[in-house]
Amino acid sequence: MSTNRIFLYKRYERFWHWSQAALVIFMLITGFEIHGAYENFGFRRAADLHTYAAWTLLVLWAFTIFWQFTTGEWRQYIPTLKKVDAMIRYYILGIFKDAPNPFQKTSVKKHNPLQRLAYLALLAFVSPIIWGSGIFYLGYAYWPDWGVDAWLSLEAVALTHTIGAFMMLTFFFVHVYLTTTGHTPFAHIKTMITGWEEEEHH
Amino acid sequence: MLKLIIGIVLGAILSVVAIWQTAGKLMFEETVSPFTVEETVARIQHNVQAAGNGWALFGLRYPTRPVEAEGVSVLPVIAIEACSPKYSGPILKDDRTRFLSLLMPCKISVYKKSDGKVYIGTMNAGLIGKLFGPLVAETMEHVVADQKKFLEFDPTKPAPALILPKAGGEGGGGGAAAGGC
Amino acid sequence: MNWKTLARAAALLAGLAAFGAQAVPSLGDKLPRVAKGTADHGKFKELQRVFKSGPDVTKACLACHTDAAQQVQHTRHWTWEVVDPKTGQMLGKKNLINNFCTTTVSNEKDCMACHAGYGWQDKSFDFSREDNVDCLICHDSTGTYRKLPGDAGHPVYVRKEFPAGSGKFVEAVDLATVAQKVAMPSRANCGSCHFFGAGGDGTKHGDLDSSLKKPGKHLDVHMDAAGLNFSCVACHKTVDHQVPGSRYEFAASRSGPPTPRGKYDAEPAACQACHGDKPHHENPLLMDRLNVHTDKLACQTCHVPQFARNAIGTEKSWDWSTATKMGPEGKPIVVKDSAGRRAFDSKKGNFAWDSFLIPEYRWFNGKVAFKTLGEKIDPAGVVEINRPEGKPGDPGARIWPFKVHRGKQAYDPELKNLLVVHTAGEDHTALWHNFDWPKAIGTGMQTAGLPWSGKYDFVATEMSWPITHMVAPKGDAVTCAQCHTGEGRLAGVGGVWLPGQHRNAIIDTMGWAVVGLALLGTLIHGGIRVCVLCRRKKGTNPQ
Repeated sequence: MSTNRIFLYKRYERFWHWSQAALVIFMLITGFEIHGAYENFGFRRAADLHTYAAWTLLVLWAFTIFWQFTTGEWRQYIPTLKKVDAMIRYYILGIFKDAPNPFQKTSVKKHNPLQRLAYLALLAFVSPIIWGSGIFYLGYAYWPDWGVDAWLSLEAVALTHTIGAFMMLTFFFVHVYLTTTGHTPFAHIKTMITGWEEEEHH
Repeated sequence: MLKLIIGIVLGAILSVVAIWQTAGKLMFEETVSPFTVEETVARIQHNVQAAGNGWALFGLRYPTRPVEAEGVSVLPVIAIEACSPKYSGPILKDDRTRFLSLLMPCKISVYKKSDGKVYIGTMNAGLIGKLFGPLVAETMEHVVADQKKFLEFDPTKPAPALILPKAGGEGGGGGAAAGGC
Repeated sequence: MNWKTLARAAALLAGLAAFGAQAVPSLGDKLPRVAKGTADHGKFKELQRVFKSGPDVTKACLACHTDAAQQVQHTRHWTWEVVDPKTGQMLGKKNLINNFCTTTVSNEKDCMACHAGYGWQDKSFDFSREDNVDCLICHDSTGTYRKLPGDAGHPVYVRKEFPAGSGKFVEAVDLATVAQKVAMPSRANCGSCHFFGAGGDGTKHGDLDSSLKKPGKHLDVHMDAAGLNFSCVACHKTVDHQVPGSRYEFAASRSGPPTPRGKYDAEPAACQACHGDKPHHENPLLMDRLNVHTDKLACQTCHVPQFARNAIGTEKSWDWSTATKMGPEGKPIVVKDSAGRRAFDSKKGNFAWDSFLIPEYRWFNGKVAFKTLGEKIDPAGVVEINRPEGKPGDPGARIWPFKVHRGKQAYDPELKNLLVVHTAGEDHTALWHNFDWPKAIGTGMQTAGLPWSGKYDFVATEMSWPITHMVAPKGDAVTCAQCHTGEGRLAGVGGVWLPGQHRNAIIDTMGWAVVGLALLGTLIHGGIRVCVLCRRKKGTNPQ
């Protein structure tokens, strides 16, 4: 058995991941309070904080999109179906038998095929739902200026936003769980903090 | 072993947090009144006067008045002060419990909340009593029993008039209050 | 900086201070203080005489203010009549039934204590006589000008006991003094009627009572006696005696920017006339979150969090069905509630009062459907004596706060209309004199010229009063969470989607189910992993 260290996540990437994680968690907490699920900050503060967090996340995304394209890292999210079946088999069976992960991470391919599909779904499906509805929600005062007040209802926007929030919450739980599937439970999290992946070779 | 210690410490911390969170609520009790603020106050006042055991009205407090004077709109609060020398006497005589004069006279607060309902707030005298030794505990047991009577309303009886304190801040109850309670 | 510089600076400062203190008095300082108004009515010879009656004073007023009476005669303060421009219906106090004293018809001698005129005691009143206009009720600045029920609008000429048998006396008005000290109307002038509608302090409106004569800021930011100290006419900006801002011409959904004061505005009493429809200044990142409320809510909905915010309180209900019930000795009685407000009166029935009341909220477009005298009612339900109109979501309507006054009053079970009851007066048919319903109804209906089957019963009624005064300081407005919550203030109002209150049950159930299933899945998956791991450890361990 030998370990091999590879550098997987660059400094900006890690900063992006963790600040985005914090913002998303915070927005889930404040968002579900606005939804009326429980009481913590009080409605007004929850709404204020949710809004400020949304702006912060928008700025973060602006920088990140710029970063993704200047560094070419956006290619990490190109989906592939190759080996997807192997990955699924691994998570359903192999992982319990301590079988080797069929996917080996490299700095060029950081995400396994299943991850790519999941992140693409997040990017292409959940994000537009949340951001689309969120921006209309936030800009409710300007609907007449945007010319959408005649055909858009706050109810539709709010419900769409809620659906997106449930998707995000589901993603959050599954995502956090899957981080424990490395060679040790905290291996992936460690990698996301330090940037270095310690690969275990059998 | 380490796990055990961590467990105990965590348990202790959680308990403290739990006590901290609930202690405040344990100290006080709150019930909804079916009457208006004034009628609730008046009914309690008359119950106090009818309770016997030396109970007398000490006065009424309007804690919102100074807040309103600052230009702030605030929902009404009227605090009824009542006192019984029969109970306060022994506590005041004992050097070890004299500081409990801080809690005298007994207060019952009647207030409206933003839900439009009228609430009655009382001190949990029983719990407080238990914290300060047998003399106080026994006295407070009686206070608790009497306090219960203060809050028993008979809706078939017509609304009594509010007993307003006479000038000088003394209770309108006469009797024991005039006796310097 | 050395000590010399310091000393020089000190000397300079001292010199400046001395100069300030011993400033040469200006020309203005030598003159008497600036007078209020340009005419001191106390110096007018026309007013330095004995006045025998109100009309006597009015004649003197009109000698200079030649067109004043004619202007007043065009107002509803004089006519007590309003014509609905849409339906042509005759409204106004003269023609309507209300939920309190019910109607002025046949009771003019009492009711007209609040008429801006003299002598209206029955149908024969001459509305064209200029000397019948009462100038003093609005322009008295002494606070001594009193008009009592029973005198048909005349002030107290002879000292008299009021209420009769109370042992309290009202002094005769010194008309000459009052006339010499006339002034622009203050809150007390308007309040002499509007604070005491329905016969007692705070009874009718709930947002108007005598506490507004000298209110603190907590009670009303605009009328705050120690602050802005607005008089009524600061908002109800009156030109040529025409007072704007009546309930009958309600600016329910005004939008757009503010109008500079001084420029003509048809609705000067609307909040938006000064504040515009985007009055909240918030962090731009919050995207006009508060201002966007103004296309659904009236300003008052948030900024009058409760009405009757004082010990005076207001009347919540008036049940006429118990009127004429006598006390234990067969004599009429009056019972007060704990706060000293009326609870029962053999003349009038049962009352319920309270303070600090949360309004009821309804969509309102400014139009009100009134029940007029003789109009058919449905006694099976609650009769809405006036119904604020406006559909949920209607762009011409807003959600408004209302005081809803509930009660019971007499109706004709056969002809199905509310009854005119002759309550006030000394004759043998007056209800408050002889406690006989059929006689009182007979006279009332006859005076109104309406048919009556001879039967009477009582029907549940309600009347809605828009709440607009007693504007709280901005920090004391209704909080977001009071509406944006499960059972918030606006529950059931409709026409709005309230985050925090409204949700879709299907989406919520499915959402939580998916989240729960995902959690369950990870737990099972993780559990199996842990088990497998444990067994393998045991298996590989030789012990």
